[in-house]
Amino acid sequence: MALTISGLSKTYANGVQALRNVSLTIGNNMFGLLGPNGAGKSTLMRTVATLQDPDSGSVSLDGLDVLAKKTEVRRILGYLPQEFGVYPRISVSDMLSHLAVMKGITNSGERKEVVDALLHQTNLWEVRKKSLATYSGGMKQRFGIAQALLGKPKLIIVDEPTAGLDPAERNRFLNLLSSIAGNVTVILSTHIVEDVRELCQRMAIIANGAVLIESSPSEALEGIRGKMWSKVVSGDEELKALEAGMQVVSTHLVGGQHEVRVYADTSPGDGFRASESELEDVYFLSLARHANA
Amino acid sequence: MRQFLEFFLFELKVRFKSISTYVYFAIWFVFSFLCVASESFGPVGSGNGKVLLNGPFANSYNAIGASFFGIIVIAAIFGTSILRDFQRDTTQILFTKPISKFAYLGGRWLGSFVVTVIVFFGLVPGEMLGTLAPWADHTRIAHAPLVWYFQPFFSIVVVQIFFLGSLFFLVGALSRRIFIVYLQGAAVFALYLFYAGVFLSTRSLSRFWPSIFDPVGLLYIDGITRYWTVVEKNTLLLSWSHQAAQGLFLYNRLVWCGFGVLTLAALWMFFPMSLEALTARSSSRRARLAAEQDDEIRSVPTFVTTRAPLVHPIFGAGTTWAQYRSMTRLRMRNIVRDLPFWVLIILMALLSCSNGRYAGRIEGQNVWPVTYLMLQAVEGIAILFFYIIATFYAAELIWRERDTHFEGIHDALPAGETTDWMSKLTALCFVEFAVLAVAGLCGILMQAVQGYYHFELLQYFKELYVVTLPQVLIFALLAMFVQTVVSNKFLGHGIVIGVFVMQPILFNFGWENTLYLFGQTPPYTYSDMNGYGHFVLPLFWSITYWLAIAAFLGVLSIGLARRGAEDSLGARMRGLRQNFSRIAPALAVCLLAAIGSGIWYYYNTHVLNEYLTAKDRRDIQAAYERDFKKYEHFAQPKITAADARIDIYPDRRSFSGTGHFVLQNKTPQPISAIHVTNAQQGFTHVVFDRPFHVVSSSPRAIYTIYALDKPLAPGETMNMNFNVGYTSRGFKDGNERAELAYNGTFFDSGYFPTIGYDQSLELGDPRRRREEHLGPQELLPPRGDAVGSVTNLFTPTADWIHYTTTVSTSTDQMALAPGYLQKDWIANGRHYYTYDMGDVKILDFFAYISGNYQVTRDTYQGVNGPIAIEVYHLPEHSFDVPDMIAASKAGLAFYEKAYSPYQFRQYRIIEFPRYRTFAQSFPNTVPFSEAIGFIDRTEKPTDIDFTYFVTAHELGHQWWAHQLIGGRVAGSNMMSETLAEYSALMTQQHRYGASNMHRFLRFELDRYLRGRGAEVRREEPLAQVQNEPYVWYQKGGQVMYTLADYIGEDKVNLALHNFLMQYRYANADDAQSGPYPDTRELVAALRAQTPADLQYYIDDSFENIVLYDNKAVSATITPTADHKYKVTLVVEAHKVKADGSGNETPMPMHDLIDIGVLTGPQDAQKPLYLQKEWIHDGRQTFTMIVDQMPNRAGIDPYNKLIDRNEDDNQIAVAKE
Repeated sequence: MALTISGLSKTYANGVQALRNVSLTIGNNMFGLLGPNGAGKSTLMRTVATLQDPDSGSVSLDGLDVLAKKTEVRRILGYLPQEFGVYPRISVSDMLSHLAVMKGITNSGERKEVVDALLHQTNLWEVRKKSLATYSGGMKQRFGIAQALLGKPKLIIVDEPTAGLDPAERNRFLNLLSSIAGNVTVILSTHIVEDVRELCQRMAIIANGAVLIESSPSEALEGIRGKMWSKVVSGDEELKALEAGMQVVSTHLVGGQHEVRVYADTSPGDGFRASESELEDVYFLSLARHANA
Repeated sequence: MRQFLEFFLFELKVRFKSISTYVYFAIWFVFSFLCVASESFGPVGSGNGKVLLNGPFANSYNAIGASFFGIIVIAAIFGTSILRDFQRDTTQILFTKPISKFAYLGGRWLGSFVVTVIVFFGLVPGEMLGTLAPWADHTRIAHAPLVWYFQPFFSIVVVQIFFLGSLFFLVGALSRRIFIVYLQGAAVFALYLFYAGVFLSTRSLSRFWPSIFDPVGLLYIDGITRYWTVVEKNTLLLSWSHQAAQGLFLYNRLVWCGFGVLTLAALWMFFPMSLEALTARSSSRRARLAAEQDDEIRSVPTFVTTRAPLVHPIFGAGTTWAQYRSMTRLRMRNIVRDLPFWVLIILMALLSCSNGRYAGRIEGQNVWPVTYLMLQAVEGIAILFFYIIATFYAAELIWRERDTHFEGIHDALPAGETTDWMSKLTALCFVEFAVLAVAGLCGILMQAVQGYYHFELLQYFKELYVVTLPQVLIFALLAMFVQTVVSNKFLGHGIVIGVFVMQPILFNFGWENTLYLFGQTPPYTYSDMNGYGHFVLPLFWSITYWLAIAAFLGVLSIGLARRGAEDSLGARMRGLRQNFSRIAPALAVCLLAAIGSGIWYYYNTHVLNEYLTAKDRRDIQAAYERDFKKYEHFAQPKITAADARIDIYPDRRSFSGTGHFVLQNKTPQPISAIHVTNAQQGFTHVVFDRPFHVVSSSPRAIYTIYALDKPLAPGETMNMNFNVGYTSRGFKDGNERAELAYNGTFFDSGYFPTIGYDQSLELGDPRRRREEHLGPQELLPPRGDAVGSVTNLFTPTADWIHYTTTVSTSTDQMALAPGYLQKDWIANGRHYYTYDMGDVKILDFFAYISGNYQVTRDTYQGVNGPIAIEVYHLPEHSFDVPDMIAASKAGLAFYEKAYSPYQFRQYRIIEFPRYRTFAQSFPNTVPFSEAIGFIDRTEKPTDIDFTYFVTAHELGHQWWAHQLIGGRVAGSNMMSETLAEYSALMTQQHRYGASNMHRFLRFELDRYLRGRGAEVRREEPLAQVQNEPYVWYQKGGQVMYTLADYIGEDKVNLALHNFLMQYRYANADDAQSGPYPDTRELVAALRAQTPADLQYYIDDSFENIVLYDNKAVSATITPTADHKYKVTLVVEAHKVKADGSGNETPMPMHDLIDIGVLTGPQDAQKPLYLQKEWIHDGRQTFTMIVDQMPNRAGIDPYNKLIDRNEDDNQIAVAKE
């Protein structure tokens, strides 16, 4: 399976340009879509998930025109939106069973089997009779992934799935995603760099509606190897001075003091030490470059 | 204080930023504007044509109406104000700050109060500006002092906002649950409807306590103003005085202000100002949830990924069906697992049952709860819920995915929009189906509770599921469409409710056409005789028409369904255009069905039949009066004999035939022109047996003038022949002729030619006359008028006639007309009957009846031989037949003894469908509507036997109308109606005794006093009565009954006998019309039997409008030495004379009035002492000794005299 996105553009009625000539090719693997809030990730995901039409461009899934043949796409689609709610007073097993019917699993034996398996997989078996509306954020999110895996999806789209999850929840969730068998295209959109680093073979960074980088995480890291430097600064004054003089990629608080990461071909000066390059550096650097461009 | 101000101002700011605040204001503004600016809007405008539209009564009534519908608005403002912090979870921020309870609650409450008052204040400028509308009826608009606007606003509306708002605020503050807040307004509204309905729908006479505790006002305004005359309604406000109307208004307002203060106190006491207490419930839920999660984490420490089983998704018709079923099931569950749904169902069931408990009962009358009455009672209230549920759940279903944010998942599912939409519709249909079933079950239950076990399930099914469900469905489809198109659910609700509310308003404004009033069907009446009868076709076609249009909107809704992220209407319209070809075939089918049924409906109602609006019909009446009134006093010959051959075709609702009149010139001059009125378009081909020609005719042939080539000489007779008949074609848009029915045809001589101008066609309502620029209607001339005196009151075109007829009908029915059956035969597949009146002359007043009847016969031995008593009725309606026969016998016995022998050898009662609700006395033949007899039920001694009464009344007319008729002058009407009423009252009293009459007469008095309050022209004294039925029935009956009580029944009967024998059959044999009797002779006959000291009663009762205000002030008892009781009673009495508009002047008083001491329960009081005493104006004290312990005492305790405060005549006795 391969998803080919070419030349997608979208401008909303309020003038916001959400997508600018976006082209991506996504193969049979886990694809990470990284970008800050408002970068156009969700617009892109919704477009691929048949919920929205672009102004121009095309999307095709192994030759299937996603924009024109929505019904056919929906039959092989698993979609977890960024935010979703549930019907009140319906239990998770009833809801999954309903969604299984909607996804064409009409054989009741088969349906029960798959729903039960998913409930076990997502660790919702114990609470399967509880009303969905009373679920915590993490439980709800697991229901979300369960429903996205229902049926035999060939294209799975998960939009910001780890937002709002606690670390344990997040780990479980990423495990589950990674267990999805091959021959399935999975697009994961997130603004958390860790998610991509841990899960994805391929990735793209998108900001302001445009694709900044499309590569594999390791290739991206290769590009900045040996060019990251860090220094603990004493105060705001110094930080200001550094920002004015060099390309500061990020600052972190370490034990209450600022640690500054700077991108430079050679050591930028006293007190700086060479630092292991991280995917996060790639991310911030490309955003910064984009902003300056 | 600063905090307080902050909360207060914040509340104001929030409200004034919200569009709803302005919408509410606009609603009240428009409401009161229309109340004043339009006579077609609101109960005051469309009611009595003399009550000022901006007068004190109108403004008070409008204020109460706004208060009633305003319950929901008050709940919406107050309830959400206190809930806001809990809804938006700002409690955490708020209650951790040091704010005072007073500032928080007080600021919020006062803010809501001020906003609500401002919102409702829209009423006042609305009323004021309404007076300036150029199209308004300015004869009904006064230059009003400001107090007329502000006193009702403050004392009714503001007080209600205070206590109801406080209540809603309290409930919101203590429950902190959104659905309770949303529901409490509707719940109070429904409960009030229930409360008021119990008293208003049964026209209960007990008003004091229900009025005191009436939070809205529909009861107390009725209690206070029910007997107000026009003058009072146009000058008096609801008074704050404790003396006016027993202080009802003052006490009511005090009770409810007190209630408001109590709720505020409760709020202060019970509202906890700590975050912990406020969020107790939700924090316990959070704790539970946390515990669950802990368990879960502990139980599965690691995450083992298992392979998902292999599945084989398939898509096709089977899957679509499965998707449809699964979605439908889910949506239904969404609805029925929701608490508000059950609240609605339970409220509906409660209201239906309480309405059903009193099905058909009115004014103390008990009836069998037959299915049509039960359905009417149950459906009458439940229909509101059917529509509420349709409106509400259509919106919920359309918006469910958006409201729950499930749309992201739902919209990406592989199901078609049609499948999705159909599942919504199906869920809604299922819910309606169930709700209708509940309503039906309530009806059946209430029939069983009342001991009526004849359950007509098929009729329940037809009414609920064949007639009503499609109409609800039409509305549901509209709601689904509107909710699909609009961008906001509440805007959608507004539009849908607007469409619903606009229907009757537009209808009132003359937009009557079923084809353009959304979802409208023509009115129909179920009749046990006739089923849905001729209403089936118009119902079927109008429902088909609107269902097709609704389905068209439904298909459009599918095309416009929201799916995906871009759900602006514009985007969806583009989608619709792209996918138009998919829905086009379905749209075309719906459109064709709508056009087809619409054309067929139009063809029937506009082409086959003339389409006339109510205004068109009034225009025709007005034109008739304008064009032909000038001929009213043209000398015309009178009919002296009538015969006709009539063929009735019940299955076609038609009849045809030929008629023949003998006309005689009973005037001293020759007559050369014959004028004929054809009001019903019932006859054609008029010919005379001498040369003649048509001089002129008018549109619809309503008035034709024929010139005789040789004038008809005085005393000379001639023959007039004509064809008579009416052919029903197709169906009409309402206004079907009630006379023609598949079973129960009943039409009268109104279809035959009327010689000369017919005054009865004139518009009576002064409001309508003004609209037509007609000026006041000409009254009956005074007694002694030269023309009026020699004209028969009932049948101005004749004096007395000979009558014979042959009538035929289909063989499965029998045909009747007045007269004795001479022969009947079957020919050409039809059944013929010949009736002849023999030598007895009758009024020119006869009828033809055809139906499928069971006949119950009996015989009474009259003074001149046997009298056949026959009741023609539906086999199922045999409940009252023995009662009717008993009443006929009792009446015959009484009237023959008291008045004169019965002039006929038969008395027949014939049932006809309830399209019309009266009984009418033709010579020896009485058509009797199935709605007012036949299902009466007299079981308890307190039940009023109305059938007995009506039967005796109609029999009374065989004397008082068919033997003695007055001239066409003022007062004459009472000589037939009042005397028939008196005859029936006496017959009733002989059968049921005086205490049952007491109950009956209190209702009669109520009707008289209400009648004069609603008078649109002016009230006349009894002996001068013009066209005031409440005078000639209710006042007349009461006056005569009391006269019999005062001077003795024998004396009254003797007076009537003397009067009858002297004046009956006036002009029966004269070649020239002489004078008919009038009330001067009647009153003289009564005076002759009345002692001198009671002559004042005749003056007061017949020649004037006199009202008493008798009152028991106090009653105390002291035991006497010989174990008896001494009662000391203080009474106060006043008497006033009223003019026709209700202006009163005090009268001196020296009147004989009952003083009584009573024992026993209210409904079955027994007198221990009852004596007439001479009473003067003011206070008087009486003492009397009684043997038993009394419980009440009073003046005129049985309400024999006309008294507007009839319930203060008695007082409970107190021990000294």
